[in-house]
Amino acid sequence: MSAIQLTANGLALGASYALVALGFVLIVNATGAVNFAQGDLAVAGGFLTVALAGVVNLPGVVLLPIAMVAMAGFGVAFAYLAYFPLRHQPPATVFISTIAFGIVLENGANGLFGAAPRLGPPLLPGGPVELSGLILPRQSLAIVAVTCVLIAGLQFVLMHTQFGRRLRATAQDAEMARAVGIPVGAMIAWTFALAIGLAGAAGMLLSNQFFIAPGDGTNLMLKAYIAVTIGGWGRIWGAVAGALIVAFFETILAVLLSQSAAEMFLYLAVLVVLGLRPRGLLGETIGRRA
Amino acid sequence: MPTAWRKNAARAAAGLNPLYAAGTVFLVVYALVFADSYDQRILAIAGIYALLVIGYQLVFGHAGAISLAQAAFFGLGAYVTALLATRLGLPFLVTFPASLAAAAALAALVALPVLRLESHYFALATLAIGQAALAAAVNWESLTGGGGGLGGVPPVSLFGFAITRGVWLLALIWGLVAVGGAVAWLLIRGPRGLAIRAAREAPMAAGAVGIDAGRMRFTLFVLGAAYGGGAGALHAHLLGVVSPEVLRLPVMVSCLAMTIIGGRTRVAGAIIGALLLVHLPEWFRFAERFGPLVYGLALLATIIAAPDGLTGAAARLRQFLWPGAPPPPPEIPPRAGSLSHAPASTELKVSDLSKRFGGVAAVRDVSFTLRGGEILGLIGPNGSGKTTILNLITGIERPDGGRIVLNGEDIAGWNPHRIARRGIGRAFQTPMLVESMTALDNVALANQTALNARAYYPGRRLADARAEAASFLDRLEIGSSAMHRRVAELPHGARRRVEIARALAAHPRILVLDEPAAGLDENEREALRSTLRDLAAQGMALIVIEHDFHFLSGLASRLICLDAGQVIAQGTADAVRRNRLVVAAFFGPTPGEDGAP
Repeated sequence: MSAIQLTANGLALGASYALVALGFVLIVNATGAVNFAQGDLAVAGGFLTVALAGVVNLPGVVLLPIAMVAMAGFGVAFAYLAYFPLRHQPPATVFISTIAFGIVLENGANGLFGAAPRLGPPLLPGGPVELSGLILPRQSLAIVAVTCVLIAGLQFVLMHTQFGRRLRATAQDAEMARAVGIPVGAMIAWTFALAIGLAGAAGMLLSNQFFIAPGDGTNLMLKAYIAVTIGGWGRIWGAVAGALIVAFFETILAVLLSQSAAEMFLYLAVLVVLGLRPRGLLGETIGRRA
Repeated sequence: MPTAWRKNAARAAAGLNPLYAAGTVFLVVYALVFADSYDQRILAIAGIYALLVIGYQLVFGHAGAISLAQAAFFGLGAYVTALLATRLGLPFLVTFPASLAAAAALAALVALPVLRLESHYFALATLAIGQAALAAAVNWESLTGGGGGLGGVPPVSLFGFAITRGVWLLALIWGLVAVGGAVAWLLIRGPRGLAIRAAREAPMAAGAVGIDAGRMRFTLFVLGAAYGGGAGALHAHLLGVVSPEVLRLPVMVSCLAMTIIGGRTRVAGAIIGALLLVHLPEWFRFAERFGPLVYGLALLATIIAAPDGLTGAAARLRQFLWPGAPPPPPEIPPRAGSLSHAPASTELKVSDLSKRFGGVAAVRDVSFTLRGGEILGLIGPNGSGKTTILNLITGIERPDGGRIVLNGEDIAGWNPHRIARRGIGRAFQTPMLVESMTALDNVALANQTALNARAYYPGRRLADARAEAASFLDRLEIGSSAMHRRVAELPHGARRRVEIARALAAHPRILVLDEPAAGLDENEREALRSTLRDLAAQGMALIVIEHDFHFLSGLASRLICLDAGQVIAQGTADAVRRNRLVVAAFFGPTPGEDGAP
């Protein structure tokens, strides 16, 4: 594999991980709960685009917003099933309910589509792009570009809109937010919508570049979990950096050794990192949320 | 003594939920009469999972740590057994203990770096252990057989008889479940059970009465892993093959689901959870591909409908069907003897104590000496470093400089539980209690003698600790009906007194109180003052933080006034009250005068 292709692959993988990890961060911040189903939700988004592409003949760029909106709606339903009934229980309880929901999603996808990997629609039709003599894989570029747009959009919404301020206020201190009249329940539901919309986008982007199978959710969730932990809980840019680190680590070692060896070294590296820096590689700035 | 055993056995039987007794009878009859050999095999697998889950409850339920490494210990046990049995031809009596030991050894090894991690970091680290083990099993083909695994593991053979199937197999596996369950049950009974619960639900409070929460977590983690290793050994012998499947996440998820559905802390919960979830796929076989979906839905439904699991629901059902299962009668010994046996020879010498938080000097070069029988009052405006000094003395914060010498021993920088064991007791500014426990048990858990004695039966030791706790609570005017209520339901004043009783139950030489009078009414304050005076008269040394000058002035033998982390005045209450710097610290510099430093 050429260096350019390797870089493009790593970037595309990292971009998809980043989208899953961002959803993870949004939910952890808003609720203090770890969403173990985030990976399975991304896979669900991937299968949704596979199904959509089978029905209508539209390019991926057009399918993407449709899938994201649908997944956002699904995210609200998810919140009402797996989070709201348990919001006064200890965080471990929500953790388990999301695991249960993940099992339901994985086996639902398995039942509907079968266990075999499926290929999603490409974002843009066409072959590699040639740019001043370099041959660049078009899909990887498109994935990176779309991810950049989504992250920039998220950053804009969170930092520069009244809605984003209310979301952040809820995440920082729900009691205080309620006291100043922010509808905390609705904000949490919106957070789930946003987070799972992003997961849906990740699923769609992955489904074309790397295929998608019902069992992929766990692996995706693990990578996002690692990315978020390395980046320091609850930090948006930390999660993006963590996702890129994980993706490049994995891509490069998989080429040098093998996929399963890359996995093993990734997890050993996580253990070493946590052993040396119990609060993650890039540190933790927000308050602890156990 | 046989009579004592009979009495204990009778008491244990009386505590048995009749629902479980009925369930056990049903299962035994099913297993012996109705089950065919396939059904018996499924029951055997359920027994293996029950062992795995009993071990997992120690970690997840009792230590309160979301470990995701239990499947790794299970897999390790399976691989160790497979290797020993196939390569070296060793029998079950060797492979089983070896698997147990290997899992415990791995747990002990990883526990040191991993157990200090907090919640999500701990979950991820344990997950990483499992995933690394899985990748190792796939990669290290020469040892593990790679993806295909190791085959040809012989069935369990004991004293020349191969146990392959049927009733003997069930007897072996469920016999081990019974032994493992009994060990876990004994471990969590009595005063140790209270201590484990306190360490899980209120670690600060546990440390303040001398409970070593870290060691407890370590022990439970290692022991839980040993159960996993043993279960893995049985699994390898029963199936005859070991493949990387035993290390994959679904095993961990099953274990977690069984624990949640059965209940996190009751041994019966582990057994019910395992039986149910092992049989569930059998019952939903007709649903074909969608079968596993039911599994997830059952888990989701249980956690929403019964967050404390089926055994929690069963306990409620029992209460509903046979109400008035009697709480132990309050046994309050007569009000005799003194509240404290602290020797008057106590001497605490604090010198040049300093602590910085970032750029803020919270405590600067504070020195004082305290002797048995003295009451030292600490006053000062908010943020002047009073509570920080108590935190340094009790080990919650580590000092940056200075010495804290208790009877000739420098205790600066020690862990809270070690300091508590040396005889420094504490009540916090906001009472830190184990909210889910009764007032009685909150005090009983501080009884280190009962916790550490091994001489007699845990139930008896608990009864003794409770009796002593009752006498402390009684002396602090907590009535016998309040004693048996959960502390979460008690009013503020009573909670403060429960906390003081808990500190006293650990028999401290020095008692440290952070604003004990805050939120109390006039009568309660007066009662508290007289209690504190009694304690000092009996030889105890006290440090009391208080904002109310009036409360301290007739009580404290000496006052220290702090401002911005420094001692600005000390001496008798009157002298300190008249001190110009003290007045300035509380009310600002007097108009017309220069602003004093």
